[in-house]
Amino acid sequence: MNTMNTTVTKEAAMPDETPVPVQEERPAETIIQEGATVGTPFADDPKFKLRNVEVFYGQDRAIKNISLDIARNEVIAFIGPSGCGKSTFLRCLNRMNDSIDICRVKGDLHLDDENIYDPKRDVVELRARVGMVFQKPNPFPKSIYDNVAYGPRIHGLANRKSDLDDIVENSLRKAGLWEEAKDRLDATATGMSGGQQQRLCIARAIAVSPEVILMDEPCSALDPIATAKVEELIAEMSESYTIVIVTHSMQQAARVSHRTAYFHLGHLVEVNETNKVFTAPEHELTESYITGRFG
Amino acid sequence: MSDQSKQAEIVRQSLKRRYRKERRFRAYGIIAIAIALSALVVLFADIIGKGHSAFIKTTITMDVDIDGEMMYLDDASDERQMKMADFVEPLIQALMREIPGAGESDRDAVRDLLNPYASNQLRDALKEYPDLLGTTQTMELLSHTNVDVYVKHAGDDNYSIKLNQQQREWVDQLVEKGVVDTSFNDVFFSRGDSRDPSRAGILGAIVGSLLTMAVTLVLSFPIGVAAAIYLEEFAPQNKLTDFIEVNINNLAAVPSIIFGLLGLAVFINLFGMPRSVPVVGGLVLTLMTLPTIIISSRAAIKSVPPSIREAAEGIGASKMQVVLHHVLPLALPGMLTGSIIGMAQALGETAPLLLIGMVAFIVDVPGGFLDSATVLPVQVFLWAGSPELAFIERASAAIMVLLAFLISMNALAIWMRKRLERRW
Amino acid sequence: MPTSKENMYGDHISHQFNDDLSSLKNDFLKMGGLVEQQTTDAVNALIDGDGHAADEIRARDKVVDRMEMDLDEEATRLIARRQPAARDLRFVISVIKMVADLERVGDEAKKIAKFALTLAEEGQAPRGYVEVRHIANHVTAMLHDALDAFSRLDAEQALRIMKEDKRVDEEYQAAARTLLTFMMEDTRNISRCMAVMWVLRALERVGDHACNIAENVIYMVEGEDVRHTPVEEAEKVVGR
Repeated sequence: MNTMNTTVTKEAAMPDETPVPVQEERPAETIIQEGATVGTPFADDPKFKLRNVEVFYGQDRAIKNISLDIARNEVIAFIGPSGCGKSTFLRCLNRMNDSIDICRVKGDLHLDDENIYDPKRDVVELRARVGMVFQKPNPFPKSIYDNVAYGPRIHGLANRKSDLDDIVENSLRKAGLWEEAKDRLDATATGMSGGQQQRLCIARAIAVSPEVILMDEPCSALDPIATAKVEELIAEMSESYTIVIVTHSMQQAARVSHRTAYFHLGHLVEVNETNKVFTAPEHELTESYITGRFG
Repeated sequence: MSDQSKQAEIVRQSLKRRYRKERRFRAYGIIAIAIALSALVVLFADIIGKGHSAFIKTTITMDVDIDGEMMYLDDASDERQMKMADFVEPLIQALMREIPGAGESDRDAVRDLLNPYASNQLRDALKEYPDLLGTTQTMELLSHTNVDVYVKHAGDDNYSIKLNQQQREWVDQLVEKGVVDTSFNDVFFSRGDSRDPSRAGILGAIVGSLLTMAVTLVLSFPIGVAAAIYLEEFAPQNKLTDFIEVNINNLAAVPSIIFGLLGLAVFINLFGMPRSVPVVGGLVLTLMTLPTIIISSRAAIKSVPPSIREAAEGIGASKMQVVLHHVLPLALPGMLTGSIIGMAQALGETAPLLLIGMVAFIVDVPGGFLDSATVLPVQVFLWAGSPELAFIERASAAIMVLLAFLISMNALAIWMRKRLERRW
Repeated sequence: MPTSKENMYGDHISHQFNDDLSSLKNDFLKMGGLVEQQTTDAVNALIDGDGHAADEIRARDKVVDRMEMDLDEEATRLIARRQPAARDLRFVISVIKMVADLERVGDEAKKIAKFALTLAEEGQAPRGYVEVRHIANHVTAMLHDALDAFSRLDAEQALRIMKEDKRVDEEYQAAARTLLTFMMEDTRNISRCMAVMWVLRALERVGDHACNIAENVIYMVEGEDVRHTPVEEAEKVVGR
């Protein structure tokens, strides 16, 4: 009987022998066109309308002319290699960059047609509408109840104790933490597991009824099961909130988001439906990044 | 042999050397600690050895005939008569009775066994209870300092005993009879300074120290914490802030006597405040303590994790709310600890207080912030400089009291930190 | 699409990943080569009336089946361990589908070999063999070109194969009509002609599979699914 070696004889079937063209060196900077985002960065009637956004750290331009719309009740994921500006850009959306002295933000950033960076605008009001969840679970070293009740208290959302109790319960329920926490609302929050702490942080953000929730790598400090619970939560919340999530895990972006935005060296390279980005991205840098060719 | 096993062999050989090195290093540490500990033991042994006897007083207990005739007194409630009355005579008579061999010619020698202020005890008793006149009372009277020294340090060559042979024999007899006895020295803790060692106490210095510390605490803690919060949370990042920061750090290293000079020039000469009063002392010590408190408070604020700040900001807390609700409560234990340690430093400080006149000889226990006062370390300084050994003994005792205060303040700091510290 | 084709499998940060992808590609091409050979050999056995060669071909189909299972396992493992995305994902998914096509081609070759055996035993004058030879040349060339397009990531060549399939269909129709006339001429020819008809049918199926492979190559390279779409649509995709 013939062996395989003798049957495979066709030259064309062995492309390894064809000479590989010399690959020209093309640094990533030259491939990107500033301000030219591939895909579908714009939406009708967006929640956030961001045009020509630039962020400077002193002399450094960290965000380079980005224009993007974020639609209502969508989950949009920001991905990209470290230092690509995705976190910086996220923090522009509720002006968390304000506390950094050397940081300047240029461009038009609108939330529901209101200028976010209007000098007259009250940051406190903005942050009540645009909540944030951070990379490391950061509950206050207080009781579970006080953690959730803190936001409503400082904003004066509840006049009576019973109202506040309702808000706390609702927020914990939405965060999927009520069953675990209802019997120990007075226990200190720092005694909970990492995943529970992160869900508590989400409950704390929900408690002030924001319209948008920004998440800065919310699962990077969590184990896979806790991560799955948070992702499940994101999926549930997307019905009533607009969610912007920065993540280093491409699988996570693929799992939770409707649209995915790829950042590179401060540029917004591509924005597309998540399905498209992960099967057939348009830009070669996106392709290289998500296939693991650089990072 | 393969490379790997060769390497393993090399590692094995170097292991012995490494362990030896480690042991030697540990030995150095143990030696260092032993030296420090033995220095501490020597210090404590010396101070306690010298000072423990100051906590004991020598008394003479005897029946005293409070005879009006002898005292030229027939109504103890009459102030004029009280002023004129002789309170020494009944005491001498009573003591003469206790010493069988003493004749009329030994009167002066017998009197010298009694403390010059013993008659005051009798007068005070009569003032309070005029009815005692004409009765016989058992009284516990303070002995003369010389008797005190003789009873406590009879065999000690360092002490010169100013009693003659006759007096010594009497005292020995009296001790045997139980008339002369020793007990806990309550005088030391209940009186101010005195020229007479057996009547000198440290209550004045303790009260002076407490008043000064109160002024220091009330001024330096709020100012220090406020300065730290401003610098850490609100101050813009510019040259001026940097300049202020550098200067605060430098101030912490300035010798304390400079603060004394500053206090003298500003508070006393410029503002015309009185000398040697706790308010000025407290002001000077405030200046000295502030850098310590500011630096430790800033460190405490810095150690509050930024994630907590971000969390609060992310919910929409204002800068003020972030600081008051989150940063301050979390930084408070550290701030308190730093402040208490700063206060302990101030408590032990002498040099700046010398310059503002808190070194005066003050008999009365200060009653307020504007009374002349001295403080514990200055009291130690004063007594230690005295030629009389009985005062040296008291200086050591005062050091022990001061140390007790310092240790309890540090213990308080540790306890507070343990108590208030929160984990995150 | 500006994808630099030369680094389709390489350039990953993980060299292991590069190796896994290349070995999947090489194993697939090996299987493709074997299946191609099987088809050619089967047709030759039929025309030469070589029953012994036909037996060998039928036995060798087991190797093809084995290779199919191995490739599927390799692809599954790669998905599980590397979570490929974008072009890597398209590559693995396409390979899984194309492996099925190749296996079916192998089955068609086996079927042709079976008819070759029957016809060789009957040993009568060859009728319709000209048509068989013609279509066989055509479809084996298509299969070869499809594998070639796969190995060179050549979407344009793949598109040509898709167009070619129409011509194979026409040739098949023509050959079928010719055989029909043979059968009407002499009813004793019917069973033989039916056998040849089945062979033609099998060859036509091989052409379809080659076309499927070409469609998968276009999906793999361009990221656009061109199955069940008019050729003009596919042309637009490739022309971009």
